[in-house]
Amino acid sequence: MSLADLILRELRHHWANALLVTLGLVIAVALLVAVKMTTAAAERETRRVMRDLGFNLRIIPRATDMDHFWTHGFSDQTMPEEAVRRLAASHGVFLSFNHLTPALEGRLDVAGRPALLTGLGETIVDPNEGKQPMGYRLKPGQVILGRAIATRLEARRGETIRLSDREFTVERILGESGTDEDVRIYGALADVQAVLGLPGRINEIKAIDCLCLTADEDPLAQLRAVVEKIVPEARVMQLTVLADARARQRQMAERYAQFAVPLVLVVGAGWLALLAWLNVRERRAEIGLWRALGHGSARIAGLLLGKALVLGAVGALAGYALGMWIALSAGPEIFKVTAKSLRPEPILLFWALALTPAFAALASLLPTMAAVAQEPAETLRAD
Amino acid sequence: MIVCEQVERCFPAATGAVRALAGVSVSIARGEFVAIKGPSGCGKTTLLLALGGMQRPSAGRVSFEGRDLYALSAPQRNRLRAERIGFVFQLFHLVPYLTVRENILAGLPTGSDVGAAAARVETLLRQLGLRERAAARPGTLSAGERQRTALARALVKQPALILADEPTGNLDPANAAEVFRHLAAYQQAGGTVVVVTHGNDAAPYTTRTLNLVAGRLVEADRPVNTPVNADQPIPSL
Ligand SMILES: Nc1ncnc2c1ncn2[C@@H]1O[C@H](COP(=O)(O)OP(=O)(O)OP(=O)(O)O)[C@@H](O)[C@H]1O
Ligand SMILES: [Mg+2]
Repeated sequence: MSLADLILRELRHHWANALLVTLGLVIAVALLVAVKMTTAAAERETRRVMRDLGFNLRIIPRATDMDHFWTHGFSDQTMPEEAVRRLAASHGVFLSFNHLTPALEGRLDVAGRPALLTGLGETIVDPNEGKQPMGYRLKPGQVILGRAIATRLEARRGETIRLSDREFTVERILGESGTDEDVRIYGALADVQAVLGLPGRINEIKAIDCLCLTADEDPLAQLRAVVEKIVPEARVMQLTVLADARARQRQMAERYAQFAVPLVLVVGAGWLALLAWLNVRERRAEIGLWRALGHGSARIAGLLLGKALVLGAVGALAGYALGMWIALSAGPEIFKVTAKSLRPEPILLFWALALTPAFAALASLLPTMAAVAQEPAETLRAD
Repeated sequence: MIVCEQVERCFPAATGAVRALAGVSVSIARGEFVAIKGPSGCGKTTLLLALGGMQRPSAGRVSFEGRDLYALSAPQRNRLRAERIGFVFQLFHLVPYLTVRENILAGLPTGSDVGAAAARVETLLRQLGLRERAAARPGTLSAGERQRTALARALVKQPALILADEPTGNLDPANAAEVFRHLAAYQQAGGTVVVVTHGNDAAPYTTRTLNLVAGRLVEADRPVNTPVNADQPIPSL
């Protein structure tokens, strides 16, 4: 009788045992898949939510009068718009900065009272990451109005407003923010440069730091070193509370993932090994018999390892399906912002299919070899 | 064919070691039909397993066809057992997921010609009254049927030596006689048979009886039947 025949016959005969072992494998694999999926989702969600806190770096002209800066909210000095491209083009800059956005900010009287005007240029993101640039994106001729400005102008979405003799379409009106955003108008960089009469100039590069170091790790020193080298005419301000909160939260999420995934991996692997081991132990008498009949170790090992491979493959498939189902049905409720990025991950199926049978076979190998090495008379007594 | 020299076997036990075999020396020639008798627990099974290369003695030597069994490597001993020795276990030890016919076939050494053995299997099934049950699993067999299946499995490879541990323990006298007749026929055809037995059912067929008491052989009975000429070829059914 061929080995495959024997394996199938044994599986059919002891189907209840095979079913229980497979269920055990399914549980282990499902747990692993679900935990892997959800910790990855949690990390993603944390990054997104933290990113949505907004830019936490402000790169402003070195010559800025800081009293003016803090009392007015923007720099009284300008630098060439090209500085942002210089910064983005320098090697390794995206290790420390991301979402580099050139901006020109100033004051403007609107309907006889002061308002803030911010022109935003195109955001440059790390070309290797393919991230969506954050912040507002505006076409020339469009503006976004803060709540108080919209009220002041009695403007509604889609309407046209005039700023310094130019016409703009209201693209969006922001909700009440409780910050100076309420008296701010966002426009495309070139438009704002024209309105403020500063073509080709900016007075700030907004960015997010991606060092993700907490305040005690002194990220500012590293960020400043980078900027001073490439854009010596500028200096870096960090919104430390924001940056620190972001760094802490992200670090926590990463550490948790680094703890949870290996933990579940070890527990799952241990559980798997236990099942494989018990299964072989149960068949010690049978091993003794094959041995007594004079069958070689390779054939006997093949008989038991073959079963482990078959059950491992079935367990991996079903476990992947179950784990995925759990992650996909529970995930979107937990990870609201990034719900859409929870998708079946075939790479996990690949790993489950590659590792589960191999590991089950490996775990079966040790007790099988131990049983084969014993005198048949001893093993035969095992029942 | 088999020579035992001062074979001892101890087992660790809660109350010191159990000395299952306490120095057994015996020589069994080819063509003999030897019965081993003795009270329960005297070491009969232990001796038989040691003769079959399945239980290493704590001391002493067992040689089979001139080769020191326990000096061989485990794979060599396996091969030898697969090809030359048939064993009938006291507790049958059938493979639960194989049918009677498949269990018998499992007695063949790996790689042997199953097609050629098929006819022999059918003969054995018929002779041992198992034809009706050929497709049944051991779990559904009576104890006697299991015992006969185990015997057929030992016979199918036409071994040089058959070691049978109480092969008639679960059989009625008529069936027991049938089994012994079968073993005798095998011996008559040139095989060597060693059986462990309690009763006297085997007496008409045996050439010699060994009495085992507390792990020692006490005076062996004189041969009753003549051993078969040792120069005969390997038996076939
Ligand atoms: N693996 C073992 N471990 C411990 N003790 C053992 C082992 N095998 C046998 N014994 C002991 O050795 C002694 C001889 O056992 P054995 O099975 O050879 O007896 P036996 O003559 O075949 O008895 P029975 O007629 O009941 O089958 C017994 O006391 C038994 O308990
Ligand atoms: Mg016994």
